[in-house]
Amino acid sequence: MNQFVLIVGSGLITAALLAVAGVGFTLQFSVTNVLNIAYGSIMSAAALVAYAVNTAGANLWVSGLVAAATGATFSLAINRGVFRPFEGRRAGPFTLIILSLAISLILENVLLIVGGPHFFSYGRLGQPSVRIEGVGFTPAQVVMVAVAGVLMFVVHAMQKWTKLGKAMRATATNPELARSRGVRTAIVVDLAWVISGVLCGLAGLFMGIIVGAFNASTGSSLLVPIIAGVVLGGIGSPYGAMLGALIIGIVSEAAASIGGLSAFKQLVAFAVLIGMLLLRPQGIFSSTAAERGLAR
Amino acid sequence: MSGAAGWDFVAITLLVYLGVNLIACLGLNLQYGTAGVLNFAFIVFQAVGAYTAALFAVGPSSGNGGFQTYVGGWRLPFPLPWIIATVAGAVVAVPVGLVGLRRLRSDYQAMVMLVVSLIATTVVVSFPGFLNGSAGISLVPPPLGTLLNPISVGYGWMYVGLTAVCCLSVFVVVAALARSPLGRSWRAMRDNEVVAGAVGLDVTRLRMLVFVVGGAIAALSGAVLVGFISAWSPDAWLYPETFAYFTALIVGGLGNSIGALIGAVLVPTLLLEGVTFLPTFANPTVSLGLQWIIIGVVIIGFLWFRPRGIAPERKNVLAPPARTLTLPGAGHDKADMS
Repeated sequence: MNQFVLIVGSGLITAALLAVAGVGFTLQFSVTNVLNIAYGSIMSAAALVAYAVNTAGANLWVSGLVAAATGATFSLAINRGVFRPFEGRRAGPFTLIILSLAISLILENVLLIVGGPHFFSYGRLGQPSVRIEGVGFTPAQVVMVAVAGVLMFVVHAMQKWTKLGKAMRATATNPELARSRGVRTAIVVDLAWVISGVLCGLAGLFMGIIVGAFNASTGSSLLVPIIAGVVLGGIGSPYGAMLGALIIGIVSEAAASIGGLSAFKQLVAFAVLIGMLLLRPQGIFSSTAAERGLAR
Repeated sequence: MSGAAGWDFVAITLLVYLGVNLIACLGLNLQYGTAGVLNFAFIVFQAVGAYTAALFAVGPSSGNGGFQTYVGGWRLPFPLPWIIATVAGAVVAVPVGLVGLRRLRSDYQAMVMLVVSLIATTVVVSFPGFLNGSAGISLVPPPLGTLLNPISVGYGWMYVGLTAVCCLSVFVVVAALARSPLGRSWRAMRDNEVVAGAVGLDVTRLRMLVFVVGGAIAALSGAVLVGFISAWSPDAWLYPETFAYFTALIVGGLGNSIGALIGAVLVPTLLLEGVTFLPTFANPTVSLGLQWIIIGVVIIGFLWFRPRGIAPERKNVLAPPARTLTLPGAGHDKADMS
């Protein structure tokens, strides 16, 4: 029973990180059709800025706001500075993914030079005071899961009930048609990058709290479980990303807990990703992947 | 390391690295430039070659006082480790190719291959009993080290010659493949996969073939490199290294060997290796970081200003016929097709 609570509990905590990160990644992809490999580096940037603000005296809520703002700024800057000009020239998918890798390398190494190669840590954030069946969780962990839940609901509400959500879905399905129906797609795309950046920044803060020690390249190393969750759920689908994150989170924690080695987390995420690609490369919620010709 | 011997050392090192990078660029160019197959896990195949060559030369795990642990470990005479390494690259290409064979959009596939590269590093680092973890395998005996004195300048130049022979062989093989019917099929698949399939080409087989051939070439480059530096660890094959080779191809010009040569000289050799011989102006973290920042900026600049590279691929077209025959109805057929 203890092990079960531990697995589900730490699975949910991991899933909180993966869901926030995955939804940001997949939402931006569904609207803009760009796979942004620099996502992990933006997470690192937000994590480092949030950490700097936190050590300067701000509490974690303020750090969270700063992380979100950092993520949004980088995300928008990358779209305006690189992706939009290249898309204006009708650059192909290969060019765009090479560009996102280039941005990732530049950003990560700038962070490495600014932050140094050593690792940062928040240390222990409070006592494990929340006890469930004898297994302790810190208040920070519980709050994180709750915040992730709220964020997922906000994304759902925005997609479903706001004009922006409608415009984003219209742009994702058919940009030309959306434009001809009066949707200002350039602004919608900008906003998609901003929302994705906000989620990316918050995921960066979560990452800083969860992984224990992090530096400029930690965000990129998390790309494996993030992408695994996104692909499992069906790329381009926010609900798929949530489901994928939950599955990857719990399964990987179970593997690490039973196998007794934290490397199993990454391996399980990878195994799920490869299995999914071989059996059903379009993922569980497959509409976007099928429409874009990502996987046939 | 001063005077003439010092310069010899610099020249030998740069030439061997150039050879290794050229072999790798030729292999990657065959995969992406000729066949249009994206392999963002390319560096993993170089690593397979390097580890295999090391394992088949270094001897059993307990041999060096047991300070490093790994699976297997034999002491075979040169050139057996290099040959086995090349074969190993081809063999490992099959399972990776199975994933790459899925008809995924090119960027989606690139992302998957990137994950393959990340996970390969994680596996080697997390299981130290496999390939000695993050410390890597060291004290790999130099090829022919028992016959010649491996620390002499003469041995260095002999190694340059050995590298050159490998380069030339790969060059000949790649050039022959590119001119062969197989090469034409690859280019057809690259230019339009659907049409290539429609005219009867087995696209799945073509993709797997180029994965295997490219994997073998990459592995050979790793074997040559590990024989020279006598050590190999996960730091040597992180995923940005693949990106450096892609940068080389784009700077040089995709789809032709001259482009691969220019790229191999400029990016991985001069930019990544050459600068290590310059006087250090900053601490290692800063200068290493700067190299990658420069590579990132170079690639964005080239993609914007000169996307076809310094030496663009020449289109393989037949000379136009002296008099063009217009077949009746041909124009209509064309209109119907589009």
